[in-house]
Amino acid sequence: MRRTLARWTLAGTLLAACLVGAEVNNDDLLRDEAVASDWLNYHGGYSGHRHSLLGQIDRSNVASLRVDWVFQKRISEKFEVTPLVHDGIMYITVPPGDVYALDAETGAQLWRYSRRLPSKLIACCGLVNRGLAILGDRLFMATLDAFAIALDRKTGRLLWESELIDYSLGYSGTHAPLVVKDLVMVGTAGGEYGIRGFIDAFDVETGERRWRFYTIPGPGEFGHETWAGESWKSGGASIWITPSYDPELNLVYWGVGNPGPDWNGDVRLGDNLFSDSVVALDADTGKRKWHFQFTPHDVHDWDATQVMVLLDKEYRGRQRKLLVTANRNGFIYMLDRETGEFLKATQFVQQTWAVGISEEGRPIRRPGMEPSAEGTEVYPTVAGGTNWMSPAYNPDTGLLYVSCREGSSLYFKGETEYRPGTRYWGSMFVNEQTMHNWYGAVRAFDPVTAELQWEHRLFQPAWAGLVSTAGHLIFAGTSDGFFKALDADSGEELWRINLGAGIQASPMAYEVGGRQMIAVAAGGGLFVFALPRPDGD
Amino acid sequence: MRITRCAFLLAALPLVLVAARTQEANPMHSDEDFAEGKRLYRINCGVCHGMEGKTGRGARLARRSYARGNSDAELFDLIEAGIPGTDMPGLWLEEDDIWRILLFVRTFAETASEACEPGAGDPAAGKEVFEAKGSCLACHTVGAAGGRLGPDMTYAGAMYSTEQLRTALLEPAAEIADRYRTVRAVTAEGEQVEGVRMNENGYRIFVMDRSEDIRSFRKRDLKSLEQPDQSLMPAYRGLLSPADLEHLIAYLCSLRGPGKEDAR
Repeated sequence: MRRTLARWTLAGTLLAACLVGAEVNNDDLLRDEAVASDWLNYHGGYSGHRHSLLGQIDRSNVASLRVDWVFQKRISEKFEVTPLVHDGIMYITVPPGDVYALDAETGAQLWRYSRRLPSKLIACCGLVNRGLAILGDRLFMATLDAFAIALDRKTGRLLWESELIDYSLGYSGTHAPLVVKDLVMVGTAGGEYGIRGFIDAFDVETGERRWRFYTIPGPGEFGHETWAGESWKSGGASIWITPSYDPELNLVYWGVGNPGPDWNGDVRLGDNLFSDSVVALDADTGKRKWHFQFTPHDVHDWDATQVMVLLDKEYRGRQRKLLVTANRNGFIYMLDRETGEFLKATQFVQQTWAVGISEEGRPIRRPGMEPSAEGTEVYPTVAGGTNWMSPAYNPDTGLLYVSCREGSSLYFKGETEYRPGTRYWGSMFVNEQTMHNWYGAVRAFDPVTAELQWEHRLFQPAWAGLVSTAGHLIFAGTSDGFFKALDADSGEELWRINLGAGIQASPMAYEVGGRQMIAVAAGGGLFVFALPRPDGD
Repeated sequence: MRITRCAFLLAALPLVLVAARTQEANPMHSDEDFAEGKRLYRINCGVCHGMEGKTGRGARLARRSYARGNSDAELFDLIEAGIPGTDMPGLWLEEDDIWRILLFVRTFAETASEACEPGAGDPAAGKEVFEAKGSCLACHTVGAAGGRLGPDMTYAGAMYSTEQLRTALLEPAAEIADRYRTVRAVTAEGEQVEGVRMNENGYRIFVMDRSEDIRSFRKRDLKSLEQPDQSLMPAYRGLLSPADLEHLIAYLCSLRGPGKEDAR
């Protein structure tokens, strides 16, 4: 009897696999940049390159790129998703709590999951979600009510849900989770609400929590002394962007958010570890191997939630495993990602808060740049020299592409008081008086020397990320609603379209039916572009 | 771990009950309530609305009436639940604290410098200055009549303070709204265009020229493009007598909407 059952189970599994295509396995995730037709991770791959090996659309034909299909919903929130694509099916999140499976060739809806969310959600910057993770027949999502959930990728049925923490204390989940082996990892947003940030890892099968890492160390832990008094309990250090991962080192690189209260640091004297840092965690245990803090005791709200780009390059005569990241504080950093050793920092936008970066990687602060009661003008803006929008790295050109934001903000310092689930900001910022000096630029840097190779200027600072393709193209979105293709070698604009709404998402590329597609969310629509079909259909 | 929907709702219930409104009118009125409301406003609201309700990316609160409601109950609900689809989030404090914040917010409308007061001028005489001597109607609309180059003045008394009106008349370049920025362009053919900026993106600029024609230019086709910190409106210092200026301000303050000229 048992044998018969086992046989049937095996047969059923094989049949299911034949009918709906292969499941995503860990090998797929590891070589995701080689599986050019799919897009299996928020960044397109563990290394954070956001580079597609598809080259059907290239510099010679991009001028004839056109809209192939559009998926529209009534979205009043910011639409920040990067889709995943596997086996001809696209998976997206739609704010505040929906997931859709779409036919990747035509945009037709296959199923929808809609999460019933409580009415009183707490989120500083919109009820947003940036996407999903995938493994096997499961999709994973972090939700605004602070759950990690798993869905059946064929039906959208809820398989499990695990609570991170009580959302009413100011916590939420907004980033696309990361899957490594049999774990799915999710961090907590809420850095403006006096949370104590953490990262949870759950068993992909059961949803059982395997480990937790607090981004603010508790009593007796390394770094606890960097928080004055009881400030560690409500110091923020949120997580809201997908980390990168090095399978050889088995390390996950998390960018950590700002300390709270944002603009008044008096109650949290000290460096405030691991706010504004990158922490390298062992993927199996969640133990910290190393950390590096970009902005100790930040008072400008410069989260380090930018993408950590992993590169293997020669530096000072020897091959090294590098981590390169353009930080919100206005400097591009290069670290040794094996040890966390600081190698280099180079200014990439105008900044007035630091004289420079010391040999140890600590900023040398310029006096008088702290927020004040009457307002202090500081470059870069509160949104930083760049932000969560993805950079891209093209291995063929060897260049790192970054969407840069130029300008200043007026930073105010004021009163503050912690009350659970309410804003914990320590005053405010004002941009209106400083916006005359604002502009944006897509810039290409040699990631090792950090030398600028070219600049494509934008009318306004952008909130959209970039995707690089093997067609030697960089696709970029703008705040005045344009989506455009740039020559990866020169920055020259080769194609553009007005999508009618500011773009606040990072684009991606995939292939279906033998055609390369480029997708980006804008306004209430997901726009997908392709070259005209050869048969004219 | 996996929990039932029922348990989840029960867990959320206490929070729902904490902040529900039990009254229609603001029960808070003491000096202590006001001080506490001011403190809570500065912590929770000032970041977007400004410490005096005048600056920031949030709506201007220093005004006499609000687009989304003016009763205590309506404003309480806005503060508590936020405005879906905007950056205005809910503020889930206890009921008394929300009332205290509202007690403080209400004082913005009474700020003397914000109120539009007709002062010593005569609105009827001001109307004549507006329409004849000042030639204001050439660029500004009141009701159905007037030009389109400058801001609509139909609601001037409800929208601007006395000080703002005085500054706009004496130093029009002191504060120019984005929509009315001056543009000077020279086309490839040598045509000189002057007007106000209606919109702009990375590639084009849209201008209402002095003839009120809407013009669209590709920026790269223009010989020159300037957006000087100047206003197309003349500075009336010296052009109008002090008495006429006071009349004009009194008239503008009286404008509260079509057919709603203030009788004061």
